[in-house]
Amino acid sequence: MAINASALVPCGQFKTSYRKDTTIFPTPVARNFAIAAVLLLCLLPLRFGEFELLGRYELNLLIQIGYYGIAALGLNILVGFTGQISLGHAAFFGFGAFASAWLNNSWGVPVFWAIPLAGLLTTLVGLLFGIPAARIKGLYLAIATFAAQFILEDFFARADWFTGGSAGSLAGGFSLFGYDVDGDRGYFYVVLAYVVVMFLLGTNLLRSRDGRAFIAVRDHYLSAEVMGINLTKYRVLSFGVSAFYAGIGGALFGHYLGYVSSEAFTILLSIQFLGMIIIGGMGSVMGTLLGTAFMVLLPEVTQALVSTARDFVPGADESLAFIKQAAIGLAIVLFLIFEPDGLAHRWKMIKAYWKLYPFSY
Amino acid sequence: MRSVLFATAAAVAVLAAGAASAADKIKIGHLADYTGATSDVGKPYGQGVADALAYLNAQGGIAGGPVEFETIDYSYKAPDAIATYKKWVDAGVVAIQGWGTADTEALVPMVSKDQIPYFSASYSGHLTDPAGKGTHGSKPAPYNFFYGPSYSDACRALVQWAAADAKAKNIAQPKFVHMGDNHPYPNAPKAACAEYAKEQGFQVLEPIQYSLKPGDFKAQCLSLKESGANYAFLANTGGSTISLLKSCETVGVDTQFMGNVWGMDENAMKAAGAAADGMVFVVGAADWKSDAPGMKLVRDISKVSDASGSAYRPVHYMRGICSVYYMKDAMEAAAKAGGVTGPNIKSAMEAMREHVPAGLDGVCIPSTWTPEDHRGTTKVFIYQASVQADAQEIKKIGEADIPRKPEWLGW
Repeated sequence: MAINASALVPCGQFKTSYRKDTTIFPTPVARNFAIAAVLLLCLLPLRFGEFELLGRYELNLLIQIGYYGIAALGLNILVGFTGQISLGHAAFFGFGAFASAWLNNSWGVPVFWAIPLAGLLTTLVGLLFGIPAARIKGLYLAIATFAAQFILEDFFARADWFTGGSAGSLAGGFSLFGYDVDGDRGYFYVVLAYVVVMFLLGTNLLRSRDGRAFIAVRDHYLSAEVMGINLTKYRVLSFGVSAFYAGIGGALFGHYLGYVSSEAFTILLSIQFLGMIIIGGMGSVMGTLLGTAFMVLLPEVTQALVSTARDFVPGADESLAFIKQAAIGLAIVLFLIFEPDGLAHRWKMIKAYWKLYPFSY
Repeated sequence: MRSVLFATAAAVAVLAAGAASAADKIKIGHLADYTGATSDVGKPYGQGVADALAYLNAQGGIAGGPVEFETIDYSYKAPDAIATYKKWVDAGVVAIQGWGTADTEALVPMVSKDQIPYFSASYSGHLTDPAGKGTHGSKPAPYNFFYGPSYSDACRALVQWAAADAKAKNIAQPKFVHMGDNHPYPNAPKAACAEYAKEQGFQVLEPIQYSLKPGDFKAQCLSLKESGANYAFLANTGGSTISLLKSCETVGVDTQFMGNVWGMDENAMKAAGAAADGMVFVVGAADWKSDAPGMKLVRDISKVSDASGSAYRPVHYMRGICSVYYMKDAMEAAAKAGGVTGPNIKSAMEAMREHVPAGLDGVCIPSTWTPEDHRGTTKVFIYQASVQADAQEIKKIGEADIPRKPEWLGW
């Protein structure tokens, strides 16, 4: 009976302990895969003389996926994991951007520190606007957060001391140890580092006592309360955590663009954040990233298609802006109908298919 | 599958070919608002810019070859403008035809650093101070140019007209009010013009805010009526001004309205109907019905997007053309001075004295730029809308020449 156990690859995944069930990555292969992906991403901005792996335009898209992804993960923690709703996420995103620019411009805080500090300031704002969540839920909560969106938007346009008013404010560049991170190639690493840290933090949070409390509140708030979970605390806390992510994402956005203006943070962006997590998969950390990538790339792909089509279809140029918006709307509707669990679920199905190939049953 | 591969290969080939042939062309970025809050005036102006560039290309281009230009509709969202700008810098544009005040002002430090001449459709006074010597806290904007009177000078001209009008009507202490959105564009002339109105003996009231997006503005009209203002300066663009005029007509306001250069045109007058009757506004070039010699070239350019030649072009169209032609002249001078580069274009612009581009006599106002003063022109045409049951027209009722006071630089 001396079969060497290590020689056998188990058919399927068997978790024999609770610890194994809550690892960050489901399998060692998945972990190595993720590490390899990050290393690969690190290579992308490199340039060898004239030859560059990625143009600035593609890098710009990846950076966008990065900062929006961080903010979307915050919203997913609130919506997908705690079962609440927010229509004011763009306002928190904007607050982070303004706060970071303000800390840098008015207080001389280096951008390196301004970004996390802006995250903390946004957390406070999130906690404040999360207070109604202690009492109301569902559609009523949606409208309460909608108010946050409008209050903050108006604040951005008027608070000259903080945001520069309607003219907006300039956001300085990122520097590290006196070395200016100038241009997209450098900034890509900053965003990548934040993505890795924030997504690991997010995954870890959900493995902790607090994270499980969030999920319990989502699944059945009455049972959760009976088990001794303080509903008020976790509902409001979830808003705080969500705002922290939004603030970090917004600060990264502000310093990337170099300019922050209240126009960028409208209700439309809030809805787009919701779109990202619905398409990606509610309650999935990886799905958040997939959904964000989808939402960022979709308009670009439509644009490329329309530009190709303009030679054949007259007037395609003028309708481009409309087609871009319509494509996003259509994508959300189609996802709700055909893939309500989002891209994360689709990804699992694809993996399962290849695992069993060619003997899928 | 094979067809997909072919299509991709073909697309890549086309892109590569495009990149190769574009290597030595002059690249120009054209930022326009066709779908945003100011699209009502953004369309005719953007069309003027695009037509003029296309016409120049058909005539052999600028400085010995066709130029490559890309028109981007940024929907009046400043952040989108900044992102587009970054993309263009990467693509190697040498000059930009821009649009709004918020984005142009936000881009000032970047275009100065990258040395890219930026021809905006924003005539904000803040952009006229290349060396930062203004006494009202203006920051240096060395690479910003625009064709037309600054918003502040235009408003001063209207105040002059209003002062004369009040005198003729025997109004003892006329009241003046600024109306506009809380946005960099309507805010640009607010302080400068209020100060000038005070100097001219007006009582200046608290500004009244109305959105750049058209809506129901009866509340604002009621405030205006209560305030008893005699003259109201409308700092928004045509679209929202139409709504405001109509709302105020309903409420029964009898204030004399005065629109800035983007606040009224033939389209807006038609849409507002009788409510626009008597409104006074600023025009920065010849209008379509003018018989100036330069209108022949304008009509030829117009045929680029309207082969029949029957389209009526609102006043903004001509300013778009002027903006492109000043840039063209500067680029050609730059080519002779050693190459079409940002700094060369800038010095060529700053060498222009009472300059009118060839073929546009009587259309573009003679303009002068110097290394210390980017107020191209300080001459302001004042027009009045006349809307009667059977005829609608705009007619020129005056001209003002605002002095180039050093203390007004950058303000």
